[in-house]
Amino acid sequence: MTRYLIKKLTTLLVLLLLVSIAVFSVLFVLPGDPAQIILGINATPETLANLRSQLGLDRPFSTQYLEWIANLITGRGNWSINYDMPVYDLIVSRLAVTGPMALMAMIFAVIISLPFGIYAARHQNQPGDVFVMFFTQLGLATPEFWLGILLILLLSVKFGFFAAGGFPGWSTDFWGSLKALLLPAFALGVIRASILTRLTRSSMLEVLREDYVRTARAKGLRERTVVYVHALRNALVPVLTIMGLQLGQLLAGAIIIENVFYLPGLGRLVFQAIGQRDLPVVRDIVLFMAAAVVMVNFIVDLTYATLDPRIRLE
Amino acid sequence: MMKKIFLMMVFLALMFPALLAMADTPQKGGNLIVCQPAEPPGLDPTANTAAAIDRVVFSNIYEGLIKVDRNGNFIPGLATKWEVSADGRVYTFNLRQGVKFHNGEPFNAQTAKWNLERAMGPDSVNAHPEYFRGIEKIETPDDNTLILSLKDVDALFIPHMAEGDAVMLPMKGYENAKSNPIGTGPFRFAKWVRGDRVEMVRFEDYWNTELPYLDNVVFKFIGDASAQIAALKAGDIDVIGYIAAPESAMELSKDSSYKVYAGTTTGEVIMSTNNKAKPFDNKLVRQAMAYAIDRQAVIDLVMFGYGTPIGSHWSPSTPYYVDLTGKFPHNPQKAKELLKEAGYPNGFEATIKLPAIYSYSRRAGEVIADQFAEVGIKLNIEIVEWGQWIERIFKKKEYQLTMIGHVEAWDIGIYANPDYYFQYDSQEFRDAYAKALKAPNEEEKAQWFGRCQEIIADDAVNGYLFSAPSLPVMKAAVMNWWENYPTIALDCTEVWWKK
Repeated sequence: MTRYLIKKLTTLLVLLLLVSIAVFSVLFVLPGDPAQIILGINATPETLANLRSQLGLDRPFSTQYLEWIANLITGRGNWSINYDMPVYDLIVSRLAVTGPMALMAMIFAVIISLPFGIYAARHQNQPGDVFVMFFTQLGLATPEFWLGILLILLLSVKFGFFAAGGFPGWSTDFWGSLKALLLPAFALGVIRASILTRLTRSSMLEVLREDYVRTARAKGLRERTVVYVHALRNALVPVLTIMGLQLGQLLAGAIIIENVFYLPGLGRLVFQAIGQRDLPVVRDIVLFMAAAVVMVNFIVDLTYATLDPRIRLE
Repeated sequence: MMKKIFLMMVFLALMFPALLAMADTPQKGGNLIVCQPAEPPGLDPTANTAAAIDRVVFSNIYEGLIKVDRNGNFIPGLATKWEVSADGRVYTFNLRQGVKFHNGEPFNAQTAKWNLERAMGPDSVNAHPEYFRGIEKIETPDDNTLILSLKDVDALFIPHMAEGDAVMLPMKGYENAKSNPIGTGPFRFAKWVRGDRVEMVRFEDYWNTELPYLDNVVFKFIGDASAQIAALKAGDIDVIGYIAAPESAMELSKDSSYKVYAGTTTGEVIMSTNNKAKPFDNKLVRQAMAYAIDRQAVIDLVMFGYGTPIGSHWSPSTPYYVDLTGKFPHNPQKAKELLKEAGYPNGFEATIKLPAIYSYSRRAGEVIADQFAEVGIKLNIEIVEWGQWIERIFKKKEYQLTMIGHVEAWDIGIYANPDYYFQYDSQEFRDAYAKALKAPNEEEKAQWFGRCQEIIADDAVNGYLFSAPSLPVMKAAVMNWWENYPTIALDCTEVWWKK
């Protein structure tokens, strides 16, 4: 197991190093000079040169890259051009919005998908199953931003139950902040629940046909025990994998939903930073997103290894 | 009975002016939440040209020597008055006394001198050092007098001193202007919650003791147009400060709980044309395109009728405006004839590159493509990201046509630069512009700035479409908001809540 872990960790670090080089190079050659965007289209060449040297954009590629990596390791050295504060603090403050929202969305997705998925599997091809499948189709076809707008129009504008968007901040108003994340998390969760419901159903159907389930039934176990204790645990393995991927994806920022609800989250930050060519911010966030996905995959790998010893030996 | 009604009517008639007067007396207090689409990249207007910065801080937190009033006139700011010498080269400013920065530092002639020197210095990162580089000598005979001697007459000196690039920063607290702005304005910076809002509070030591009326102003950044409207309707914001989605503005203007202003701005939306690229190097082709454009249809389809047609690169809200919209009226027949004369009897094919971030630009591009198709010009539409636009279109001039709003006032001088992305090269224009800049009096200024507008209109350098509307939308109880935006600012100094 230790050897397996070391092997996996080395791959992970090499991968991150490659990602960092790729991210840096792409942004280095990306058209759109940050100084020009800051000073506008009527700026004089001389002012542009002044600003470029102030921002350190006139130094060679390797110097800039090494300094970036050094700053990443030591923490707060990378500074946002526009926000005038460490990128590290920016990411932390944005994660305080995106993180809980992603978790809440996953909770919504699980609460909705598991019962419906199991129900549909147990009533395969009956009206209830068809009904559930119809709604999952609808959910898959619905863009999440559109659902978000509908929720705002109905629950905020018409009934005034919720604010139409924005985020008060955890320290100023805890319950208000929780409430502010409810609608966007619901919009994100419902769409993901559609996928998970279908997955739970098919996985459950497969497991229910296995021999050990027949054995369990033959033993005279109650149907509830068969489904929830024996079948569900195995049926959940593929569902958990997809959930992990979805969580990683949500952590990387739900750019569109954050714009619809004007939440100060990670997705909106990177979206804005790209437009304004705030390169230090773009670089750090893209690397963070890549690291998040890689980490989730790493954890999934470890989980497999614990579940199935054969994987360790390969 | 009749008598009673009559008496009541008399009573009401007598009371009416009093009621009106009451309604018009500004009341103090209250918080105002203003929404603007773009979050400013830093809060220092002297270090970055982004209009989003000026809209938040200019006139609210920072002030310059001169202000622009609601009609576009130059009025006293931190200077109470200014005199120009007979030769037009020496400006003597009388500075306002007893002005304090938000950190308690006094504002005086020394501060003004330091600010101007900082802006014009060799290592200046002011976005427009050229505004200040005409200054030859700065004298400060006493604390309240500032004498500036220019190298040459500059007709745009006062307009430039009234822009956000020329605001006054304190000599000690200037270093963190990007994240902790300190000015002399009616509101003091309180907090910037990155990604969400900027908060400011009333400055108790403001030089005008009557102002401001509001206690707090919050600028909230909501980029999505439908989210803005939803936030206004849900009561989360009070004002959409700048160009609300025109289709929603139309709907809200019918609702008595909201007010919509369709005023003017300094911005001109134009179809920029590469004057060196074929076939646009042919004046006849450009004129044919000018005839092919139906400006009113563009305004109706793109802006739902909000916006003023323009015939040249000058906004109706800027002084010396000449209405040249009649020069090339919509006339497809004439356009076809000119195309034939230019050697394109069957029209031609071209590409228009539209910046993705501006929805008006994308919509206008589609409308223009349709209008051009009518005269045989087939436009292919290509959407480009903003950074790409700056790099490829603006810097490298790799384009034929594009669509963009030029928001700065007094920027017609860009046509005097043959390297500018229009690649327009006209000695006649350069001469006229030089004369305008050196014009010693108002009549000659009007004459030569007018001539400049005419020359580029005649040459049909670009497709001149419309002046962008101000289009603020607000709750009905928000009083005294600016209707026109003759300068780039969302000035809340005199705004008040009707209770």
